[in-house]
Amino acid sequence: MTETTTPHRSSPLRSLAVTAVLATAALLAGACGNSESSGGSTTTSASSPETSALDQTNVPVDQPGVTDTEIRVGGVASVTNPLGGKYGDTFLGARAYFEKVNSEGGIYGRELNLVAERDDKLANNAAEIEALLQQDDVFAILPIATLLFSGADKLVESGVPAFGWTINPEWQGTPEEPKSNLFGQNGSYLCLGCVQPQVPWAAKQAGATKAGVLGYAVPQSSQCADGWEKSFQEYPDAGVEVAFKDSALSYGTTDFSVQVSKMKEAGVDFVVTCIDNTGVVNLAKELKKQGVEAVQFLPNAYDQELLDEFGDLFEGSFASVSFIPLEVEDKPQGMQDYLEWIEQVGGTPNENSIVGWLNAALLVEGLRQAGPEFTQQKVIDAINADTNWTADGFLTGVDWTKSHNQRADVNCTPIVKVENSAFVPQTGADGRPYVCFDIPSGSLEPITR
Amino acid sequence: MQLLEYAIRGVPTGCVFALLAVGLVLTYKTSGVFNLAFAGQAYVSAIVYYELRKELELPLVAAGVISILIVAPLIGLLLERVLFRYLRSAGSMAKLVTSLGLLIAIPEIAKLLFGSETRRNPPPLWWVRRTDEWLWPEGATFVLDAGQVATILSTVVVVIGLVVLFRATNLGLRMRAVVESPRLAELSGVDSERVSMAAWMLSSVLAGLAGVLVAPLFASLNPFDLFTLLVAALAATVFGGLTSIPLTFLGGILLGVLQAVLAGTLPTDSVLTNGLRPSLPFVVLFLLLLFRPGLRTTRELTDPLASVDAPPPPPAARARPPWIATSARVFGTVVSLIAVALCWFVLDSYWLGLAISGLVLSVTMMSLIVVVGMGGMLSLCQAALAAIGAFAMAQVVAGTGVPVVLGLVVGVVVAAAIGALLAIPVVRLDGVYLALATLAFALMFQSIFVPLSWVSGGAVPITVPRPVIGPLDLSDDRYFLVFVIVCAVATALVVIRLREGTTGRFLQALQTSDVAAASIGINGPRARVVAFTIAAGIAGFGGGLAAIDLGQASYEASFPYLIGLVWVALLVSAGARSIQAAVLSGLFFFLFPALLDKLFALPGNWVDTNPDAPSWVAGIADAIQPTWAQSVAFILFGIGAITYAKHPEGSIEAQTTASVNAIVRRVEARNDRHRVAAGAGGSAP
Repeated sequence: MTETTTPHRSSPLRSLAVTAVLATAALLAGACGNSESSGGSTTTSASSPETSALDQTNVPVDQPGVTDTEIRVGGVASVTNPLGGKYGDTFLGARAYFEKVNSEGGIYGRELNLVAERDDKLANNAAEIEALLQQDDVFAILPIATLLFSGADKLVESGVPAFGWTINPEWQGTPEEPKSNLFGQNGSYLCLGCVQPQVPWAAKQAGATKAGVLGYAVPQSSQCADGWEKSFQEYPDAGVEVAFKDSALSYGTTDFSVQVSKMKEAGVDFVVTCIDNTGVVNLAKELKKQGVEAVQFLPNAYDQELLDEFGDLFEGSFASVSFIPLEVEDKPQGMQDYLEWIEQVGGTPNENSIVGWLNAALLVEGLRQAGPEFTQQKVIDAINADTNWTADGFLTGVDWTKSHNQRADVNCTPIVKVENSAFVPQTGADGRPYVCFDIPSGSLEPITR
Repeated sequence: MQLLEYAIRGVPTGCVFALLAVGLVLTYKTSGVFNLAFAGQAYVSAIVYYELRKELELPLVAAGVISILIVAPLIGLLLERVLFRYLRSAGSMAKLVTSLGLLIAIPEIAKLLFGSETRRNPPPLWWVRRTDEWLWPEGATFVLDAGQVATILSTVVVVIGLVVLFRATNLGLRMRAVVESPRLAELSGVDSERVSMAAWMLSSVLAGLAGVLVAPLFASLNPFDLFTLLVAALAATVFGGLTSIPLTFLGGILLGVLQAVLAGTLPTDSVLTNGLRPSLPFVVLFLLLLFRPGLRTTRELTDPLASVDAPPPPPAARARPPWIATSARVFGTVVSLIAVALCWFVLDSYWLGLAISGLVLSVTMMSLIVVVGMGGMLSLCQAALAAIGAFAMAQVVAGTGVPVVLGLVVGVVVAAAIGALLAIPVVRLDGVYLALATLAFALMFQSIFVPLSWVSGGAVPITVPRPVIGPLDLSDDRYFLVFVIVCAVATALVVIRLREGTTGRFLQALQTSDVAAASIGINGPRARVVAFTIAAGIAGFGGGLAAIDLGQASYEASFPYLIGLVWVALLVSAGARSIQAAVLSGLFFFLFPALLDKLFALPGNWVDTNPDAPSWVAGIADAIQPTWAQSVAFILFGIGAITYAKHPEGSIEAQTTASVNAIVRRVEARNDRHRVAAGAGGSAP
């Protein structure tokens, strides 16, 4: 056991709870719409092609933001947001990855430089993206970590490769409009309201029989709550029935006494929510007050700082994560590099900087696959041909031939359990730190991949 | 029996509502200000308490005394001395706009002073680290935690104390007298200065207490949570008629109880439930404002001697001599043409985009001119009406495929129709009550209608294409700029026509005196309904344009109610009756933060390109954060609204008047000199 990292993690929920208005839309997408992670059929090891030495063949390239010596990249984040969320840390993560690449000589004889770090302030996303496209002369746009993503259409129209944090539904494409140049950190498909086998699986692990589902009365949250409810119905093998559901909570509510009283009466022993951190904390306090022994499933509470303050309230609860949890003993190469380089740039390990890191890693992988005579379109095409993007083992695997607009048949999700105010990764069928399910089979039995 | 259980469960939350509402009523009773900045003041005390208790680990009593009994009253004293002393005889609109400015500025100032890092797990006003660490009575059906006990005890003590203060002490009587009329009170030997200071310090203590008590309800501390809770508590203040402390307390408790009973009894999956439960406090507020007996006849807290004050000066546009008006028009036209040429030929698409967004906003600002400047009604729902116009247009265009320009017309009609329906009951309310009713409407719209997919499109905003008009494809920002200018000019002409026409003159008469206007046969409510309806249509038009500009009808990106409050503060401080102010404040809203952004980035950029820069310069560059731009912009927006106290006609209008007067003086002086010279020449032999 060598795990000594004590990361400060920020959840999109906390950061996104901006105003009662701004928050609700983006916040709940973050809460309940972890982008779909799927992956191909192979596993990734430390010696995967992703870590191989980068080609230094320098041939003239006539592309925006590319000179003989550098490739310019710019990003936008909601650095200024009313809650002081650490969205700006995505820049640190991207910078850390570029520092790593540049320390090895760059790629195609060029350095990667993050030349623009824009703050979209209060919902100025479209304007800042316009500025990145028109003023900053960049080859690619990353990271994008914003409360709202009103500039998505501009980006799609521009055809510039863009990478960011998939917390807004605008990342997601459709078969008619795949948005093939927008790349989330772990796929671009949010799948709000989809059946999620990991929830009944966790409930089964907890030995639960009756579930309570809570959500706010806004579209994303209520869709998410519907998805949870459907998940229990579609997987009766878990032996868990939904005994209570309330998806008409008002955003900002601090009182869950009536809901908990009803859940107590219904014998609920497993609660799954689509609400923000204030909500889950107040819910946990009320469960404690009314003496209800129920485990929570927290879709987006992978946040050590939250546990530092409220860990005892969540003892035994589960949380899902969109990348391999930092607490794993056998750290994949991508995570080792991240921990080393994020320290080098003066950052702290957190979810935001991991997103920036993953975004930068995907761009470099696209460049590598595109070859020395790379273009923006070649990079986009190269990424979209990748069937198993793992960022050197940091992700469970993204199949970019599908992940823009459809759900993969195999769904893999890292799940952690709260034990003694710390996250403990749960292992799947093959001992890996994530659990995979074959969605079409309807089976709750984790599969080996 | 179960109903009783739910009702009891609602009492602790009711106490929170009651505490906040009593604080608002106390401020209104003792200063005549409906102080929306109460949440900002509460936030500052909560931060101070957090820092003292959690970071410096001071004992409970020391931290509580410093944050609630020292810092909070000092803030109150500061506000009174710097600001509200000048507003004692002012009308409710001036006071409300000033509090709006403070609401915007205080949290941003606090962020700059205390840092904007996340403050998790705000400590309770109790001897524990977290509210759930002390439960009483443990194991019972109804269990209270430390935070709830502290809140209930404090609320009861505060209510009893305030009732005693107002009913049994000289100070309470004097406070009420000073609010009624500081000048009459002084004639009776009351030192209104000291009484007013005491009143502000007392109400600020209550804000501090509320902030510290309410903060642990949230996982982390931020001003918007406090403001959201305050807004939910507004219904209780109206229940108490904005004056009765016991009734306000009762109103808060009833609101908490009603919320819990509805949560327990309504089905959890019906449309009614989804709409009603989250919006309950705002529905109750709206209904109370419309139907509470006596509210319409309740006189606002205004100085009866205010009517002896000199009337405000006429707008500069009317007072200036014709030759100045002609020159100004020519000058304005030339400047506008140069600005358009600059936008067309010089600005890149980023700055051009911001300028377009600013001009689009100026159209919505013009709706505020009609309703606030001309109608004297402080509407806080123009952003919601703009959203209605945008959604109507987007749904019609997406659903039927009609041209976007036609969709704009539909948006105007729908917004105007809803504005008219809202106006009929609302225009009969006075000052602060009207402002609250429109705020309640905005919040109801947000809670009930925005989540509905047939209104807003649901999770993903509805896309709105740029129109093609003949050979002009407005996807090109430069053509779109011209389109927006045409729209803005057309709107300005409508506003001017309205102002100069019968309705405008009726409204002007009504602003001077309702009674006098009625005596000459002016139907006040009808004129106000007309103004409100036209303003709603203009807001809908502005909203539609904003959706076309952004490419989508997004409530969160373009129309949140808090941003709407900033618009009001900005326009009123610039000049609520001036087209020029509407255009400039729209541009200012978008361009100013971007310019500040560039300004704050300059030192860092300079150091980056000059590696040999002295270390002290590098130090300064490091200290200046580009992210300050938004905070500084909002502080200045807020301070702009605060200047309303000094220049109720608006800063741009005041500047224009000063310039006109200076020019006239100079010209007259020159004419005098010529006359004297001519006289001297004529008398020469």
